[in-house]
Amino acid sequence: MRRPVMRRPGFPLVVTLLALAFLGLFLLYPLFGIFKASVLDSTGAHVTANNYLRVLGRSFYQRALGNSLAIGAAATVVTTLIGVPLAFCLARIRIPGKSVLLALATLPLVLPSFVGAYALVLLFGRAGIVTQALRAIGIPFDSIYGAPGLVVVYALTLFPYVLLPTLAAFKAVDISVEEAGQNLGASRWRTWWTVILPIVMPAVLAGALLVFMDTLENFGVPFVLAEDMPILAVEAWKQFVGETGGNPATAGVLGVLLIVCTTLTLLAQRHYLARRRFATGARTAPPLLAVAPPVRALAVGFSWGIVALALVPFCAVIVISLLRFRGPVLTAEFSLGNFAQLFARAPGPLANTLLLASGAAVAAALLGVPIGYVLTRTRTRLTGLLDVVAMVPFAVAGTVLGIGLVIAFNSGFLVLTGGWLILVIAYAVRKLPFNVRASSAILHQIDPSLEEASINLGVSPAMTFVKLTVPLMLGGIVGGMVLTWVTVASELSSTVILYSGKWSTMTIVMFQALEGTSAGVASAAATVLIVVTIAPLALINRLLRRQGASLM
Amino acid sequence: MSARKPMTAIRIAGVSRAFAAIAAVDDISLDIADGEFFTLLGPSGCGKTTLLRMVAGFCDLDRGAIHFGERRIDTLPPHRRNAGMVFQNYAIFPNLSVAGNVAYGLRARGVAAPDIAAKVARALKLVHLDGYGERWPHQLSGGQLQRVAIARCLVIEPAVLLLDEPLSNLDAQLRVEMRGEIRQLQQTLKITALYVTHDQEEALAISDRIAVMRAGRFEQIGAPDEIYRRPATPFVAEFMGTTNLLAGAVTGGAGAWKHVEVGGQEFRLAAHGAKPRQTIAFSLRPETLRPVAPGETPPPGWAVVTARLEHVEFLGALTRMDMSLGDGTRLRVAALDLPTGWVRRSGTVELAYDPARITAFPAA
Repeated sequence: MRRPVMRRPGFPLVVTLLALAFLGLFLLYPLFGIFKASVLDSTGAHVTANNYLRVLGRSFYQRALGNSLAIGAAATVVTTLIGVPLAFCLARIRIPGKSVLLALATLPLVLPSFVGAYALVLLFGRAGIVTQALRAIGIPFDSIYGAPGLVVVYALTLFPYVLLPTLAAFKAVDISVEEAGQNLGASRWRTWWTVILPIVMPAVLAGALLVFMDTLENFGVPFVLAEDMPILAVEAWKQFVGETGGNPATAGVLGVLLIVCTTLTLLAQRHYLARRRFATGARTAPPLLAVAPPVRALAVGFSWGIVALALVPFCAVIVISLLRFRGPVLTAEFSLGNFAQLFARAPGPLANTLLLASGAAVAAALLGVPIGYVLTRTRTRLTGLLDVVAMVPFAVAGTVLGIGLVIAFNSGFLVLTGGWLILVIAYAVRKLPFNVRASSAILHQIDPSLEEASINLGVSPAMTFVKLTVPLMLGGIVGGMVLTWVTVASELSSTVILYSGKWSTMTIVMFQALEGTSAGVASAAATVLIVVTIAPLALINRLLRRQGASLM
Repeated sequence: MSARKPMTAIRIAGVSRAFAAIAAVDDISLDIADGEFFTLLGPSGCGKTTLLRMVAGFCDLDRGAIHFGERRIDTLPPHRRNAGMVFQNYAIFPNLSVAGNVAYGLRARGVAAPDIAAKVARALKLVHLDGYGERWPHQLSGGQLQRVAIARCLVIEPAVLLLDEPLSNLDAQLRVEMRGEIRQLQQTLKITALYVTHDQEEALAISDRIAVMRAGRFEQIGAPDEIYRRPATPFVAEFMGTTNLLAGAVTGGAGAWKHVEVGGQEFRLAAHGAKPRQTIAFSLRPETLRPVAPGETPPPGWAVVTARLEHVEFLGALTRMDMSLGDGTRLRVAALDLPTGWVRRSGTVELAYDPARITAFPAA
């Protein structure tokens, strides 16, 4: 029977209004600021389309847009070609150490991708270890800067987006549909193409579109690897903080372009998924396939190979950070000098990173959990609006949100730039969709009648939320906070716009070391970021697996 | 808890609620007496749960008012209504022990700790769970969880007891056992109870009065035997167990007693004011038709029809038979303790019935 919905104002209404006020002030208002900057002329008094015409008319920006889309598309294709076979191997073939492999395979999603990019530079850059080794034995190898490097890094860091949903889909395929296909005379190969693949396709595409969106929004990876190749997210930043004083109009136009691209991608994904259902109904996962030993060896090699390939750069960075640099030249001597140099130069950033990440994790939970609760438990026109607004940050690149926040709070009724609060706000807003979704996912597993029973026994709705619902959700909330913490600790794209000298973070230290030539300090900073990411994850790994939650 | 509580009648007056233009509850008025066990019975989607949730406060009213005794409660938030509710899935808090669950409402009311312990112990004893206080919900069976839910509800001494299909998740035997216990508890505590179910047998067994609901309205309100034996509409007749719904034209008769022809057979029944040749619909329960053994005479005042035997189903105590009238109209017959030998051999069977047991419906 359909559960009638309460229309009584009170706790849900208060939460909804507060959330809308917060998001209105710190998300919509800054976005409006970007839009305004993009349509005002240089005097700021007249609305004009000239900014758009000027930017879109210049071949440089056309290339930036084209590069962003083309590299995103290429990375998406490669990611899918890695993720789908890997998901199939993990779902249907006996692979030694499968659970460890799966845990390792999800790591690239939370490890800072620009650290991975930097690792690739250390190995395959112009002065890279591998590059020089190759040259020494006479193999000409230029470097991996530009499109190939970008696609490789994206593919190796983003493949879990495709892997995780596709793996779940493969496991949800009822074995009987496969048997039915074969029973009706189709070969195993034909069954795969005509039955299995169409069933898992929605999951594949859902993941692939996430990959595409992530590449569009990414700032750090192209910053490290693109060199002279213009990329939308990087150009927006350059225009905004440019040495010539910055050009808010151009930055605004680029920001709007970026939002349009990501929003269209998001809408395409929603539209596609709305009309399809994942394969369900399998009581148990389909059995493992009995394959010939060579095939199995191939599958094992492929699965472990991909995951190793994805993690090797990170391991390489850690090793390199422990070696002595003589100027830019790497030696084979062990040394902690890089770390000494890192912390001598900047003892504050690590503390800042830990503080800001903690603040952001708390803020994102304080916002995300009540919003997730209200969106899951009540349906009104107002919560419908909140549902849409709370997902907006998903389609806003960190760079763009940062620019918007600076435009909005650099002067006027509320000045926040230069402080820590604006960073925490930016992180909390960016991580809000994840926190809301995670909370909803937990709440869907808690029967609403538990809350009704509590209210019925005389506890008010607000107190019921605090005393009953939050304790019941606690495991999931903590898991979500750790994931938020970990991703915020390595956040670069909005930090690079919003940080100030006093509130510089580990990512900024690394970013500055990259701009200079201090490879030793950069690798030490990268190692610190990796440790900061891995340590909490190891702690919650068990928790997450028990919740069955995905990283998205 | 055993002390006599103040009188709490439930008065529902002109209550309505629509969801997206569909009337879930359509202008319903109802008075439930203090200490009465009242059941809302109907198929899923009939509005019975919505009505119960309106009383509990989990569903707002478009129109109307609800009173507990003299106190209007539909304007109060749900946590101030003091209406104890037992949920279909028990809604036991998994993060609290059994005692913690039962104490939950007392803590919300600021009862002192020593009193809480005593009241919890008494409530658990009442539902035969003494000594289970320290257990955790996941260690309990479905029936035990249901008892915890009832104890948790009764311990706050609610003004009324609301039960939303509380037995539907239990297996058949436990269901019968628990409904007896619920009824007994209600009688002991003399608490007003509003009970929702879609199971007609459960409703008949447990209630003082039943309201049969359909599409947001009451089809009939009455005592269990009245609802079963004198259904007001064909819907009620069919919903309350198996029946034969027949229709035919009036061919004659005297006073209230009319003859109605169906499939070449004449049925005798009471239909006030029916005119000759008018079509009349009526309900005749399978167990009111009694096969007449060869050489047996029906009781005085009974009427007889003849039908062809199509199918016999021997179920032990009960024997079900499918018969057909001349034009193929199906007639279901059920008899207790019937030797089936002669029935199986017969092609046609004489069926005797008491004309007073036929319910005729006013022409639609």
